Amino acid sequence: MGTISLEHSDRLYWLGRYTERFFTTIKALGHQFDKMIGTAHSYTDYLDCFGLPDIYSDNRDFIRSLLFDENNAHSAAYSLERAYDNGIVLREEISTDSLSFLQMAKDTLSRAGQSDNVRLALLPLEDIIYSFWGCVNEHIFDDEIRNIIYIGKTVERLDLYMRLKYPFAIVEKEFIRLMKNLNRVPKDTPYRYNTKYLSDLVEILGTEEDYRSGADRAIDSLGHLFETAEVFV
Amino acid sequence: MKQHTQFTKAVGNAREINELLRRYGVKFGIYKNGVFNEQFFPFDPIPRVISAEDFKRMEKGLVQRVNALNEFLFDIYHDKKIVRDGIIPEDFIYISSGYLAEFEGIDPKNKVYSHISGIDLVQAEDGEWYILEDNLRIPSGASYPLIARDLTRIAAPQAFEENAVVDNRGYAKLLTETMEYANCGGVRAILTPGRYNAAYFEHSYLAEHTGSVLVQNDELFVEDNILYHRTYSGGKTRIGVLYRRIADEYLDPLTFLPQSLIGIPNLMEAYRSGNVGIINAPGNGVADDKGIYYFVPKMIKYYLSEEPILKNAPTYLPFYEEDMKYVMEHLDTLVIKDVAEAGGYGVVFGRDLTKEKLEEFCRTIIAEPRRFIAQEVIDFLDLPILDNGETVMRKADLRAFVLSGEKTKVWASGLTRFSRNPDSFVVNSSQGGGFKDTWVLSR
Repeated sequence: MGTISLEHSDRLYWLGRYTERFFTTIKALGHQFDKMIGTAHSYTDYLDCFGLPDIYSDNRDFIRSLLFDENNAHSAAYSLERAYDNGIVLREEISTDSLSFLQMAKDTLSRAGQSDNVRLALLPLEDIIYSFWGCVNEHIFDDEIRNIIYIGKTVERLDLYMRLKYPFAIVEKEFIRLMKNLNRVPKDTPYRYNTKYLSDLVEILGTEEDYRSGADRAIDSLGHLFETAEVFV
Repeated sequence: MKQHTQFTKAVGNAREINELLRRYGVKFGIYKNGVFNEQFFPFDPIPRVISAEDFKRMEKGLVQRVNALNEFLFDIYHDKKIVRDGIIPEDFIYISSGYLAEFEGIDPKNKVYSHISGIDLVQAEDGEWYILEDNLRIPSGASYPLIARDLTRIAAPQAFEENAVVDNRGYAKLLTETMEYANCGGVRAILTPGRYNAAYFEHSYLAEHTGSVLVQNDELFVEDNILYHRTYSGGKTRIGVLYRRIADEYLDPLTFLPQSLIGIPNLMEAYRSGNVGIINAPGNGVADDKGIYYFVPKMIKYYLSEEPILKNAPTYLPFYEEDMKYVMEHLDTLVIKDVAEAGGYGVVFGRDLTKEKLEEFCRTIIAEPRRFIAQEVIDFLDLPILDNGETVMRKADLRAFVLSGEKTKVWASGLTRFSRNPDSFVVNSSQGGGFKDTWVLSR
């Protein structure tokens, strides 16, 4: 096809981000669920990672809202809806087959909301999202299109991993993955990185010690990575 | 009913088929009280079956009709011989909202105006097919039987092992060839008003399957009378053919409605210059006006010197004195259609009106005779549909798709729409209708 509009490039990027946000949120909440078993009020560490206020009455209220409430902008359901909103206008680029996995994820999440064993009911979602990515990879012939989605995916993953305080080894791996994707971006496109913020990330994520002390700054730099800068390379 | 029982094997897999349709997001949008809702399009797994012999005759008739309509469109925007020769009164041309004076004398590439024609037919109890209306602007619906067939073959392969059904999955190839025939040099694009259009699923599905770029107006611009797609790197890609899924009046704010927010300024200049093909050509509305429908059999004789193969439903034009008299005397048995309306709206069955309403309606028709046509109610064949596990009979029509490229071809399938309401003749999806696959048998 060989022609991507600004609108579609934006959609591709956010499709990657929201799909990853949904996936990582589901997994993180799964771990949180496990930690909460047998305790009364133990989810505040999760909220702290994102600077969110505790507006939940108990564990159940927290987990249900963060998983299923489409009106909660921090929920998995919200992220999935936004992923679908972006995907639905990209059918000819990502394929009907890829899109069908997002529809399946919506249906599966909806069914999980009715289940007595939420965690078990959520398990197929991991399979579905892995299949989605496999399908995207399989169907998209244009490397530029694929790369934009993957940039969105890795930016989101890196952001969430840092917020959730994942170990340095894992964060470092994701950063290297992002760098590889960024190096494939053509000049004069919106995903050409801002060198200042990329340099900051390279510096902070260079060693485990720097990561520990500078994770907040790294998150901030990541947020500015695609801002138009005075110098492009 | 008996005719269809041998083809209902798919019914056993109704749940699986509908699950697949859901998985693949086969939806249509609908606005109710100003709110947009996306719905799954109700699918009935019992197909409409058309025999090979029946289809052969229908195919000939449809090709004949669409060829005549294309001749008519060329004539109307050029010499208007059919008007000068007194076959069609000029009233039916110039006051039609579909007639666009801006396109006088313009030649679309290869002189094809209606590249994709959606012809609505019904089959009467005696097996005869009648044309209900011609849709030559932006007929929609082909994607639904297309994807339904694909999914039914997965869910109910046995139904296809036991029946010799012509494969309908070549529609995208047919459409691609049609688009290429109109291509003036550049990539193929499908113009959509966006996700919140009722037929968005179809726009995106056809873009995917024809390898076209799905575009919205703000991604396009005209420069030196050439249409371009603006790329995310600031570059531009030339568009050679635009399959637009928006109405004429919104296409170009500099030619039509200045308040259109979904059009492309100067698109018509690019079109007039022969630098971009537009599918279907702007101005086709003059030929699918419900008033013009009456004259299509006359067009066939006039342009092709042939007898029409397919019949129109018996139609009366109150415009003519004799027809007006008949309509006034038989209004309670006729169906009246407002020529300006579409989508099942503006259709009134005389039998449903009270005496007072009938009299009031008579006065409206007398005051505006050009606004209405009247038709005999055809006792059309009911088709079996599955309703909560039971087979019930419902009214159904068929939209056949005729594509005009180098040759005019009929897609061996079509969209069968049915009413879910047992008392209704209205089958439109916008009014709650469902759809079926249409099988054409190969022998």
